[in-house]
Amino acid sequence: MTLVAGAALGITAAGLVAAAATLVATRRLVLSVQVLLDFLLAAGLLRLTGSPGWAALGAAAAVVALRRLLGLGLRAGGVPAADGS
Amino acid sequence: MEELLRDAVAVMVLVVEACGAAVIITGALWAFARFLWVGVRLRDTTAFVPIRLTLGRFLALGLEFQLAGDILTTAVAPTFEEIGKLAAIATIRTALNYFLRKEIEDERRQLAEQERAGTPDPADPNRRRPR
Repeated sequence: MTLVAGAALGITAAGLVAAAATLVATRRLVLSVQVLLDFLLAAGLLRLTGSPGWAALGAAAAVVALRRLLGLGLRAGGVPAADGS
Repeated sequence: MEELLRDAVAVMVLVVEACGAAVIITGALWAFARFLWVGVRLRDTTAFVPIRLTLGRFLALGLEFQLAGDILTTAVAPTFEEIGKLAAIATIRTALNYFLRKEIEDERRQLAEQERAGTPDPADPNRRRPR
């Protein structure tokens, strides 16, 4: 595993922990998903460092599209918070 | 002479991309620490938005470095295969940069609206504590 791949994996794990902490602290699912997507984006950007192959490029593009789609869907759907606010 | 130029550009691209990666890793680590701190201490929804804004700025800055590396690489991209791959990477990074900046603008606007509405920003260390 390269240094960049290891760092990307670490950031993904950090994102999972941060999203869980956000969900526990605020009880807002939308916010915790947004936090997770921010960290996944950071990991995806790191994986694009250097000379990525076509597969890595396609995966990064898919993550970007998914992140955008999820963000728009969550905002448009107005997923209610767990505390009802 | 051409070999020398090629080697020099390769070293510069490596340095610039390493800077971009360092910025992204620093931003992610800083945001991780802040998310945990705010989650444990404040437990306030509005306190998370400034952290996400700052993380977004870190990511945008890292992307700028990566795009600079792409531009440098175009100086020595001999085959169409390499040029095509470079174009795909640059397109993805440019689109990412665009969406990231748009999201930062949206979050900033929301934050400004909240402040105009009188909601104090819990992340502001100078705010007055309620008695």
